[in-house]
Amino acid sequence: MAQPTDHLRRSFIYRQLSAAGAEFLDLADAAIASKFPNEGDATKLGLADLSPLPRTGFKGPQALTWLAGHDVAVPQINNTANLQSDGSLVVRLADTEGLVLSDLKSQSDTVARLETLTPTSGCYPVPRDDTYFWFLLSGVHAPDCLLKICGVDVRPHKFPNHTVAQTSIARLGTVAIRDDRGSTLAYHLIADSTSAGYFWDAALDAMAEFDGRPIGLNSILALG
Amino acid sequence: MRLAAPFGSLIDRNAPVSFTFEGRSYAGFVGDTVASALAANNTWLISRSFKYHRPRGILTMSGDDGNTMVQVGQEPNVLADTLPIREGLTVMGQHYTGSLAADRDRWVEMFSKFLPVGFYYRAFFKPKGVWNLWEKFVRSKAGLGRVDISTHHGYYDKAYAFADVAVIGGGVAGMAAALEAAKADVEVVLVERQPILGGSLNYTRIDVAGTKGMALVQDLTDQLRAAKNITIMTDATCTGWFADNFLPIITGNRMVKLRAAEVIVATGVIEQPAVFRNNDLPGIMLGSAAQRLIKLYGVRPGQRAVVACYGGTGYGVALDLLDAGVNVAAVVDFSKAPTDNPRRHAVKDAGIEILQGYGLREAIARKGGGHIASVIAAPITGDGNLADTPRTIECDLLCMSTGWMPAASLVAHAAGEVSYSERSSTFVVRSVADNMQVAGAVNGEWVVDSAIKEGHQAGAAASGQTANRVASPRLPDDRPAQPWTIFPHEKGKDFVDFDEDLTVADLRNAVAEGFDDIELVKRFSTVVMGPSQGRVSALNALRLVQSHAGKALEGARGSTNRPPVTPEKFGHLSGRGFEPLRLTAMHDRHVEAGAEMMLAGAWLRPAYYGTDSESVIHNEVMNVRENVGLIDVSTLGGLDIRGPDAAEFLDRVYTFSYARQKVGRARYVLMCDQSGAITDDGVACRFSDENFYVTATTGGSDAVYRTMLFWNAQWRLNVDITNMTGGLAAMNIAGPRSRDVLEKLCTDVSLSAAEFPYMGVRIARVANIPARLLRVGFVGELGYEIHAPSSMSEALWDALMAAGAEFGIKPFGVEAQRILRLEKGHIIISQDTDGLTHPHEAGMAWAISRRKPFFFGRRAIEAQMKRGLTRKLVGFTLPESSGLLPEESHLVIRNGEITGRITSIVHSPTLNKPIGLAFVAPDQAEPENIFSIKGHDGRMIEARVVPTPFYDPENKRQEL
Repeated sequence: MAQPTDHLRRSFIYRQLSAAGAEFLDLADAAIASKFPNEGDATKLGLADLSPLPRTGFKGPQALTWLAGHDVAVPQINNTANLQSDGSLVVRLADTEGLVLSDLKSQSDTVARLETLTPTSGCYPVPRDDTYFWFLLSGVHAPDCLLKICGVDVRPHKFPNHTVAQTSIARLGTVAIRDDRGSTLAYHLIADSTSAGYFWDAALDAMAEFDGRPIGLNSILALG
Repeated sequence: MRLAAPFGSLIDRNAPVSFTFEGRSYAGFVGDTVASALAANNTWLISRSFKYHRPRGILTMSGDDGNTMVQVGQEPNVLADTLPIREGLTVMGQHYTGSLAADRDRWVEMFSKFLPVGFYYRAFFKPKGVWNLWEKFVRSKAGLGRVDISTHHGYYDKAYAFADVAVIGGGVAGMAAALEAAKADVEVVLVERQPILGGSLNYTRIDVAGTKGMALVQDLTDQLRAAKNITIMTDATCTGWFADNFLPIITGNRMVKLRAAEVIVATGVIEQPAVFRNNDLPGIMLGSAAQRLIKLYGVRPGQRAVVACYGGTGYGVALDLLDAGVNVAAVVDFSKAPTDNPRRHAVKDAGIEILQGYGLREAIARKGGGHIASVIAAPITGDGNLADTPRTIECDLLCMSTGWMPAASLVAHAAGEVSYSERSSTFVVRSVADNMQVAGAVNGEWVVDSAIKEGHQAGAAASGQTANRVASPRLPDDRPAQPWTIFPHEKGKDFVDFDEDLTVADLRNAVAEGFDDIELVKRFSTVVMGPSQGRVSALNALRLVQSHAGKALEGARGSTNRPPVTPEKFGHLSGRGFEPLRLTAMHDRHVEAGAEMMLAGAWLRPAYYGTDSESVIHNEVMNVRENVGLIDVSTLGGLDIRGPDAAEFLDRVYTFSYARQKVGRARYVLMCDQSGAITDDGVACRFSDENFYVTATTGGSDAVYRTMLFWNAQWRLNVDITNMTGGLAAMNIAGPRSRDVLEKLCTDVSLSAAEFPYMGVRIARVANIPARLLRVGFVGELGYEIHAPSSMSEALWDALMAAGAEFGIKPFGVEAQRILRLEKGHIIISQDTDGLTHPHEAGMAWAISRRKPFFFGRRAIEAQMKRGLTRKLVGFTLPESSGLLPEESHLVIRNGEITGRITSIVHSPTLNKPIGLAFVAPDQAEPENIFSIKGHDGRMIEARVVPTPFYDPENKRQEL
């Protein structure tokens, strides 16, 4: 079975995942938790660690222009996201910052392609796979759970799909992006990687009330 | 005694519960509170009063008084009249010596003459030194309840909620408001502190038959449950109003933070007690308390009752008592003339004596004390005056329906005006904040049907269906003035504030002392400052203060009303206590290696690896000096400064010069604030013309980042500032064998002294992991800082430890590093500097560029130098015979004056002698100068100024 320590690059919380009995799946350069023995129900409330998946960021006055010029459909409005045809998600954080999350099957090469390019002046790459952790909270109880740790109204009728909130969640500055999986509510939660362990525990604590539990990548992919 | 159904709407007779009170077992039912279950078992003594240890029992039965505070397990000051019982609950009284029933401290009351209002401002201080005698006594007697510091933390949390319309108060006005607002298809939240909706109609009697109220409640409740867009919260108390309709709601162990576009306050009224001698005896309660006991808990509140009242409400109490099988001996009606009220007629028809125009002179306790045995009434001859023709009526229950005040705290929190109205004989809401309305009894609307109508009006306006908002104040058109309900007694014990044991004389004396305003009287006497926060005392207190001060009551306000409305636990305020912890990528390796971890800001860092700190740290130091050590320095800040103006930006932010810094080189950075004080340091590494990587201190990196963003938002230089602190982990491999270790893993860059000299920087791959290499020397040995992607740094650490095994590599922690750097004379910002230290004082003049036109703090530093130095940081040593070493912050003394202090000191393992850094006077700073340090126990120790670095002064080792 794949192990996180088989790779140089490791999830920030791989020990917590292993302690919870996670099975791992090899990606190109890291291992991702694919399932758990007492898996949560992704349609009700589940939390997945997607940190081993590729992502990248670009900052600067020319960042969005540069991205658009390299086959990336940058949203027109700040704090919104666009789902690309290859499944990658482009997030417009500001007039001068974009974030690109890979598709969850890690089949698209958008992130890798962008990282091999040398941006023009005014566009600066940021290694978001190291500065940020990346979790996904899914399920019908996701908004109720988030409202225990976040002051933004993320209920679906107030927070449309592909809306972004840059806010404080469990007292940690976090980027929250709604990105429904099939018909299931889902939110990407992205914040400083050094607090990944703290945030994972805080989220699970808030989830307990709704019988929320860790889920693996397989459950997320099964949602559609 | 327990009444049969249908009395007791809240209890489940099929679910018995047993609990203990004061060590004795009691039986109740699910739905009972501690107080109701005790009352059902004929136990009425629940607490002892704060000052005089008087026996106290049920007063409001709603949590609006402090008379029923008890200790429940480890939790003090729990209100027994609202705490539901559960199986096995252990309840004790508070504030007594011996037993609750036979409190040995009740003798205090005998000395009440010597304990007038505010006596503690004068007592205990004279003669000098007497406080030492009093303190122990006061500490043992003062306070309520017992705090057990071993109490396990409970699980408290918070949740945010949002609504278009929040209705606070689930009585009929609130229910109507919620229903009406919901018609507009908006989100409505209805908050009710009782377990059931309906408010006072669940227990008061508004009609003779006593059926109308419950029918109304049932109808409205059915409609509410059927509505889709109304969220109902019961057992939920809104404890305050904050800006923009931010409402904290306590429910169980959760605080819900509700934000609403519109708020409707429909919180009703709070019944008020009358003031007369011994009005605090157990068995004396509000009329509504008796009704709650009967209707909600199925408890007969007494055998033989007197009802004191004016108006129809008290007659409803009398009818309810009759229904509950209580012998109603008399109704003492304060009104001069009888009112034409159907309930009064029914009481009269029932043959109950009505003492019209009578007031209450005194309650008499039964023999042995502890409960009312009779009450003395007399005709009222004027406000507060009674004729000398008393009537004694035997009773074990006295119900007071003698006034109300609006529960308008939330209005006051929102800066609405709540003040006294003579026409209403109570407080009224005169104005409310924007986006707020009041409805129902809180707004003076007493007639139930009209209160419902007002609720509908408020709901329609709040939801935008109409513009017709409820107006305030609502004053009665035509009503005779309500009777004065305060009857002072020459012998006192006529309590105005039960929480603080304050009587009429206490308030009169406070005014006589010159405190002629309620705000002053409050602070001097502590009136309304107790657990009930004036809910059953503010009205009478204001009446007395205004009267004694010769001021008008009309328009007078009570003391400022602030949140919380009802007590909040610290648990509610803290919730889950989120404290984001930051861990480095190598954290688990440190723990596995036996590190003693320490907090450094939000981070955990290894202090040392082992248990015997002194020897472990010593060994770590020596291993770095003699072999090679590895330390995790990920917590230090890392910032990418990129763009055409990167060098210019650094030139402005730091004291040194970077415009001509060569690519591939590092240079020290020193940051000062606008006053010239040192705030941070690090190194700037130039990886290309437009690409700098700057390090900062662990504690300062967030502030440095914010400072940079703030200033560039104004300068608008063409530069990007990216905080890489979390994205790059860092480790420092240091020691004479460090190059040997690194060469095993890094083959794409030459590490030779010639090709990678001291203060050089390179991009390389170490163990096939991309890394930034900085050849810097904080600890004064050959060494490299390796900054690598955090997701790969655990693997990198493992590779370095494996590669270094043959050379004796060992990890070293923060404590060893502090010693190593001190041996090199390197300062630590905020340890060897303070909030005023400027570069010249700290011997850092070499880090200041003389040619730059501007950098932060430049002008202030120049001004300071013009004034001259007042202190200087120097290195020093102590003789070996110094004994117990002094510590940081021990003072430098000359001729009895303080001239400085120690900032760092240690017994150097490398040099085998004490060394340190200290601020001294400028004329003490010359090498070889001797100065005196005042160490432990005031012992003076002589220190000698020496140049720094203490170790390897020619820097040969770090430049290997």
